[in-house]
Amino acid sequence: MQLFLLSFLVFLASLFAQTPESRTAEIEAAKDAKAKTLQPEKVSKAENFLRRFKDEKQLEKFQGGVNGFRPKIGNMVTGGGFAGGIEYGRDDFMDGELTARASAQISTRLFQKYQVEALFPKLAKDRLAIDLIASHRNFGGLNFYGQGPDSRRTGRSNYRLEDTSFDGIVGLAPTKLWKVGSSLGYLMTNVGPGTDRRFISSDRQYSEAIAPGITQQTNFLRYSVFTQLDYRDSPTGTKSGGNYVFQHSWYQDQELSRFDFRRMDIDLEQHIPFLNRTRRIMLRAKGTFTETDNNKPVPFYLQPILGGSDDLRGYRFFRFTDRNAVVYNAEYRWEIFSGMDGALFFDAGKVMPRRSQLNFSNLETSAGFGLRFNALNATFLRLDVGFSQEGFQIWFKFNDFLNSRRFGTNTLQPAY
Amino acid sequence: MKKTLYLLLAVGLVAPAKKFYTDDPLLVEPKNRNVPTVENRKLSDIYDLFSHQLTNLGERHPVNGPPIRAKAVNTLGEPMDGAWWERRHYYNRMSAEELKRGPGNENFPSMDGKWTIISAKNEGVTPGFTIRDSRKRLYFIKFDPVTNPEMATSSDSIVSRIFYALGYHVPENDVVYFAPSQLAIGDDATVMDKKGLPRKMTREDVDLIFAKVPMAKDGKYRATASLGLPGKPVGPPRYYGTRTDDPNDVVPHEHRRDLRGLHVVDAWIDHDDSRAINNLDILYKDGDTQYLKHFMLDLGSTLGSGTEVANSARSGSYFFSWKDSAKQLFTLGLVPPYWAFAKFPDLPSVGRFEWKVFDPEKWVPEYPNPAFRNRLPDDEFWAAKQVASFTDEDLKVIISTGQLSDPKASAWLLECLSKRRDKIGKAYFAKVLPLDRFQVTGDELRWVDLAVKGNYLPAATVTMQWFAFDNEAEKKTPLSGQTSAKLPLNSGKPFEGYYGMTISNTKNPKQTVDVYLRGNRVIGIDRNW
Repeated sequence: MQLFLLSFLVFLASLFAQTPESRTAEIEAAKDAKAKTLQPEKVSKAENFLRRFKDEKQLEKFQGGVNGFRPKIGNMVTGGGFAGGIEYGRDDFMDGELTARASAQISTRLFQKYQVEALFPKLAKDRLAIDLIASHRNFGGLNFYGQGPDSRRTGRSNYRLEDTSFDGIVGLAPTKLWKVGSSLGYLMTNVGPGTDRRFISSDRQYSEAIAPGITQQTNFLRYSVFTQLDYRDSPTGTKSGGNYVFQHSWYQDQELSRFDFRRMDIDLEQHIPFLNRTRRIMLRAKGTFTETDNNKPVPFYLQPILGGSDDLRGYRFFRFTDRNAVVYNAEYRWEIFSGMDGALFFDAGKVMPRRSQLNFSNLETSAGFGLRFNALNATFLRLDVGFSQEGFQIWFKFNDFLNSRRFGTNTLQPAY
Repeated sequence: MKKTLYLLLAVGLVAPAKKFYTDDPLLVEPKNRNVPTVENRKLSDIYDLFSHQLTNLGERHPVNGPPIRAKAVNTLGEPMDGAWWERRHYYNRMSAEELKRGPGNENFPSMDGKWTIISAKNEGVTPGFTIRDSRKRLYFIKFDPVTNPEMATSSDSIVSRIFYALGYHVPENDVVYFAPSQLAIGDDATVMDKKGLPRKMTREDVDLIFAKVPMAKDGKYRATASLGLPGKPVGPPRYYGTRTDDPNDVVPHEHRRDLRGLHVVDAWIDHDDSRAINNLDILYKDGDTQYLKHFMLDLGSTLGSGTEVANSARSGSYFFSWKDSAKQLFTLGLVPPYWAFAKFPDLPSVGRFEWKVFDPEKWVPEYPNPAFRNRLPDDEFWAAKQVASFTDEDLKVIISTGQLSDPKASAWLLECLSKRRDKIGKAYFAKVLPLDRFQVTGDELRWVDLAVKGNYLPAATVTMQWFAFDNEAEKKTPLSGQTSAKLPLNSGKPFEGYYGMTISNTKNPKQTVDVYLRGNRVIGIDRNW
């Protein structure tokens, strides 16, 4: 009724409207009319929430945690499922010279990881870093398909890997782009029956000859030297530059004197941008080679692996294992929009019992496509679909491909 | 609904019934209503991005029917001097000295005595301070990124002067050099820690900030000193709708000519970061009246600068559009966007700015802007004629205020601004009949063909037809035989009352300009295309 009355009044008003005397009067009348309907500016609840979320640095607070406690997501071995946990961390010890962290994580497949770290990241005017890490991992169902390039897809088994390590790493940066370093640590290992009941346990499927160390494990003193030349424009959202890493490690069997070995890791990556960095070619060659004296074996759980989201993307993770491995990756990326890139990739690689077999024959290959979701100049999520002669694999990863892991310790890396 | 009807009721009582009033054309906005107080309303940049990217904000042109012509203009089609804009360089040519002065380069922070730090922004790539000088004036001190010395500070200085000459309200931004010893920490100075919690500022915080910014050769630091605006900040104006608490804000922003035309200006200077939160409303006191005055801020993200880094090469393209993204996805990137072919000289103090692939018709800001999307050819013409009014000499003078130490950088900026200006002239003067500056001289109506003046296009061949105009009925009656520039005569005497001339482009008859006169005075201009 009220609305009807108002509408009628508007109609009447239009009939008896007074012609303003001037443009000024017309504009002033509009202002007068507006003045009668003034009300405080309203910002929607959603907008207010987002503004306060940013202004009050809620994300940083969430990441920073409460009194040093914060959630820790991911960073577990591939195949363990979604991992979550809690971390206590402080970066204000010794006037900010010391960062300390302790974390505990468990995954949906009940893989566990516990880690304590003390890091001096900015010694000697940021040219020296010292990292002390202790870690315990208990991965219940890692895959093992048998050793060698001819291992069968149907040979899938699983085993438990339990290890505890203590490592100290010293890294020196003589120049802005070049780093050298060394590590010293102690590694205690244990292998047991796999917990994934879908597949046979490795100890029931493979003998000591196929899987050295499956019946008896040992502890290692390990040390390494490494060097890195890194001139990527951004480590988290690389569009140009290169990263070349070399590490040589020595593993000394402390109990059985049976599994001493040396290991060499070479990881070379190059990013070639064009068309204003909206397109780029990424190339990577990575090799891991082990050697022993007197034909001693290398424990199967410390041998190089191939297959998975970070190398041969058309194969299951941990698909190939042997004493040596090489992988070559080429990826073409193009910008779909500012928050998403497309990717076409080709991977080739193989594992080999002997280094002399290093050549381009008998390579396992996979090819596929993917999407990379980017924010703040970093890829935070990627989807890869890789095809190989063994079918296809779909990978969702909360990191970028070629997101180089730190060298100097294995505790932050997936199990080798 | 009820409020709308009340408003209609109020407006209906004074509904207009004729085209011209005796006080047309108004050059200055009528006196503002007093605004006693307004709450400071803050906006979210994240919300702004997604709401503009994913929804249609503001009133758009009807799908069927005539488009909505720009409002907040006088009968000549010009915005009036007021809270948003003022006539400046195009209308009254500014001298080199005035261009250099811009909004006022006489208020550098005083070097007599220390600058007292009130607060600091210590996160991000380019940190900064808020200070008071010894004369108690407030300044925002902003630095360049280490990777691009002089880039953001020169852009801030140059573009604030360009915007000022174009008529917009901007703060005084000047390049300053100072030593860290110039700064004293205020008793209440705070910084935010990594978790966003405020804590008392220390000398280490100051040192940390200087460690993140480039040092000049003489050991001093270069920065932009942006003088605090004169009044209470009450939050950014949006590019659509009106402020519900401002009685003087009666025209939806998406229909304001000064905002629609800003698209052309932003394309010229590559201001792809043109979003609400980079502007600010100030409760401004003018005599006994307070009103909201609208300022353009944060101009350091222009001319190839992205403030914290060199601007992205994708500047001039939306972050996201369904069409372009689908094209890129399904062509596997084999059909790159036009901007991907841009080449940029290695000039860190400029960033990424170029003119060869620049296309004013393709350029868009980072995400859709309702006012920009509503622009019509007459809005573009209005802005383009202002852009074209800057000569190379004008630009050289303004660029000098950026105090770029590399002459190649200054030369490149001049080349880019000059060539981009010319592209704008060619693009937008072709979409309407580019005639302007109408006036009666002697017994003739005269005008300037801006496309010819700027050497952008050949002279348009036109036909002229005088008409008598019934102001009440808004009806034009052609005057037989009156088809020259000479003013029409009525029985041998000068025409009385309202009359006008329709000028038509012979090559494109849709392009016309109706010029209305009362006596010997031009009082109205209507452009059609």
